[in-house]
Amino acid sequence: MSEIVTSKRTIGVLFGGRSLEHDVSVVSGLQVLQALDSDRYRPLPIYIDHSGHWWTGETLWHRSSFSKGGPNKDRLTEVVLSSNFGASELRSNRAGALPGLPNLRVDVFLPILHGTYGEDGCIQGLLELTGCAYVGCGVAASAIGMNKRLSKLIVSRVGIPVVPWRSIQRSVLDLGAAWLDDTPVEVESVFGWPVIVKPCNLGSSAGVSVAHSPSELNSAILRVFEYDTEGLIEPFIKNRLELNVAVVGLDTPVASITEMPVTLKGSHLSFSEKYKRQGRKSVSSSEGMASAVRVLDPLDLPAEMRATAQEFAIRAFTELGCEGISRVDFLIDTDRDELFFNEINTLPGSLAYYLWSAPPHYWTITELLTKLIERAERIRATRVRLERQPPPELRLLG
Amino acid sequence: MPTSSLWLALIPLAAVQLYLVWRRLLAYLRFFQQEGYENLRFLKWTRARSLTDPAFLVAVASAFLGPKFPLSIAILSFLVFLALAVAQPDPRSTGKISLRLTDRAKRILITTFVVVVVVWGGLLSVNPTEPVRTGFVASSAVFLLLPVLLLVGNTLLMPYEQLVQRRFEQDAKRLISDVHPFIVGITGSYGKSSTKSMLAHFLRFKGPTLAASGSINTLMGVTRHIRENLVPGDQFMLVEMGAFRVGSIRRLCQLTPPSAGIITAVGEMHLERFGSTEEIVRAKSELAQALPPGSFLVANADSPGALRIARGATHAKVLLYGETSPETLDTRLKDVVFTSKGTTFRLETREAEYSCFVPLLGRPIILNLAGAFTLAVRMGMSPALVIAAMRTLRPVANRLEVVEEDGITWVRDAYNSNPIGFRAALEVAAALPVSRRILVTPGVVELGPEQREANRKLAAEAAAVCDFTVVVSDTNRSAFEAGHRDAGKPGTLVPVETRTEAFRWLRDRLRSGDSVILENDLPDLYEASEGIFLNARPRRPKALKAQV
Repeated sequence: MSEIVTSKRTIGVLFGGRSLEHDVSVVSGLQVLQALDSDRYRPLPIYIDHSGHWWTGETLWHRSSFSKGGPNKDRLTEVVLSSNFGASELRSNRAGALPGLPNLRVDVFLPILHGTYGEDGCIQGLLELTGCAYVGCGVAASAIGMNKRLSKLIVSRVGIPVVPWRSIQRSVLDLGAAWLDDTPVEVESVFGWPVIVKPCNLGSSAGVSVAHSPSELNSAILRVFEYDTEGLIEPFIKNRLELNVAVVGLDTPVASITEMPVTLKGSHLSFSEKYKRQGRKSVSSSEGMASAVRVLDPLDLPAEMRATAQEFAIRAFTELGCEGISRVDFLIDTDRDELFFNEINTLPGSLAYYLWSAPPHYWTITELLTKLIERAERIRATRVRLERQPPPELRLLG
Repeated sequence: MPTSSLWLALIPLAAVQLYLVWRRLLAYLRFFQQEGYENLRFLKWTRARSLTDPAFLVAVASAFLGPKFPLSIAILSFLVFLALAVAQPDPRSTGKISLRLTDRAKRILITTFVVVVVVWGGLLSVNPTEPVRTGFVASSAVFLLLPVLLLVGNTLLMPYEQLVQRRFEQDAKRLISDVHPFIVGITGSYGKSSTKSMLAHFLRFKGPTLAASGSINTLMGVTRHIRENLVPGDQFMLVEMGAFRVGSIRRLCQLTPPSAGIITAVGEMHLERFGSTEEIVRAKSELAQALPPGSFLVANADSPGALRIARGATHAKVLLYGETSPETLDTRLKDVVFTSKGTTFRLETREAEYSCFVPLLGRPIILNLAGAFTLAVRMGMSPALVIAAMRTLRPVANRLEVVEEDGITWVRDAYNSNPIGFRAALEVAAALPVSRRILVTPGVVELGPEQREANRKLAAEAAAVCDFTVVVSDTNRSAFEAGHRDAGKPGTLVPVETRTEAFRWLRDRLRSGDSVILENDLPDLYEASEGIFLNARPRRPKALKAQV
């Protein structure tokens, strides 16, 4: 009896990208490459450089290739995504450069791109247009998840408490200097001091600052406008804790255990605390988010609050129409024991794999990725099979 | 005639030498690139450096011994050349400024390589009856003349490079006339880059602004930057205009006709290149002359040179800024106070007086900020907005940046210093609340005949502020010794040969509460030739950190 050999599916892991979080994405991307089940899949690294070009090659597996100004392009092959709907192919001008090229079929894409162009629906739009299967949120959920104001608007409509906010658009800069006087007056009367000011559409802590006075507020707003066209101003909860829960989109979404990032400097988690090694010289060098200082499943967290956070996380995930793995970040006002939705990360650093290491779900990232890849193909197939034949009333051209 | 087995040895010998030549060319090219492919400047750097190349010495020795023991010398030299080729650090990934293999660099490399082969072939054919000796003599000559051959390669390419450059300039000009941005030209002996980045920071809150992030200030650099980065919709473009000789700014102004200008400070920097302060003033005046009638020329009134240029400007409307100048100023800097977090100061304009804070340090930087403020406000920005924007400026690495690490306060001012910047760093260091201050510096260079005197004065001032001065390399050592004697503190001077040695000295003595001022950490050009031919990687400050 002859055995049918199923070929390994090629999984294109997209990482790097044009956002501020390029480096974080490289770290996460390399983790995912290593974590994919190599018995089942052929992981293909696809690095997007700072200017948006796509590259593939063996050297991309090694973190050392990314130091000193990025990988040596001479050893890589530049590729583009075929625009033919459903082809799901990478193309290269250099024939024979890699096995399978110039047309290399990719079965499923795994966008591991944090921030602008990667987490905000842009790459998802490209993959939709070309009919590719991909893991994670679709266009709308990505775009809304990236926009802090829109995600707050939506989750607050389904009963999840959010910290109040004021939005300020960059276009105020074109309307004279009156806002420099008016905004602090308004903010002071509504929130008092201090306030936290952050970009509306960035995933990292870049551009975030706390303001204690009118002059600090104005500078904080300008700092946001260096990065984004919209800023959010919120009261700064002085005695606060952060609480994060991941949700994975399976047939029914499942919440992970909770984590509490440890704030080192008494203020909000800053970029370096979030993503750099914390003096733990023995930590493997490709850990990124996974090695930040945190407490998993904190024991002193009231069980009720934990359950509420997990329930809110699933509700937010569902309401925004998310897929894949998202991490929902909450704030706890410790003076009032109140829990607030802060933001959702639809492509969290390290895919928040460390949050599945305790009961009830002992899933390794490898298992989770396998589940998500299978689901991605199903989602794509479902969309492709949607009725595309226009009904008679739309057939105008005979 | 050599035996056939010798011939068999000579072919790989030639091959390995060509490989070594290739490696050496890369090494020299890195410095040629840093000197802006200017033949004379590179020649000045290279001097007799190739005499110290082990490859040259091996070739000379082989030329003497080769005829006596042809086969063994051939094999031995083959092995040595191979070892040298492998041992040479790759300039593409080593050194403080590594080689970028741009298209031009590749062209120069390949052309020079062809020149080398031709020269070698020519020398070999002089005396073909004695191939072993002739071969090694030819090799010696090639290794000795390699820097010169690089210049020959560059010169051969010159007509082509000029053609390419002209075409690129036309492209850039067309782009500028399409996009039509408001162009601000910025020149001066120092402070150009920082003024540019601060003004860009302000203007970006008014409209899309193109400004190069580094010090792009040559015709070629600016052309390339425009072609790669200017996009329709850009409202402002800031161009740093470097003067390498009289005429260079005029040509830049033809490429990017300025609608406003800033003259930061005109002084003795790069005196070596110009010969006299007079020439420098002439070179920098070209910006003022290029300004259209009614445009703004902002000038630093504290700098006599800049003030002279401003006075000579015929069509532009002059706006003056300064701190100490007796002139009536449009913006006067007052009450400057340094802390480890930044600087507080006041700006007095003709209309009002403003309290400001900026997370940057150093008197010249604050003065540049006053210049950028002056023009930004004249270009229609509200003073309150500009002052709010000042708080969002970020310190630039190694430009008078104060970093606290494990109890040590580092005052990092490594990048291209001049006496004014040097003093600024000393002033900031003196204001910081630390227990001991240790200065590490090779002194200042490129000051022509005044170099010794300038360093002597700086050394005396440093001795008054610092507990120790570690002077690196012998370039300015005797001036520093004299300066320390003048200050009556000869015992606080620590002369060392290299940066590595300086850090070793520090590592053994630093303790918590100390401050280290890293001043004018010279680019590779002026350091001893370590690391060019053989791997002598300097230890990084990181190693130091771990030990303190």
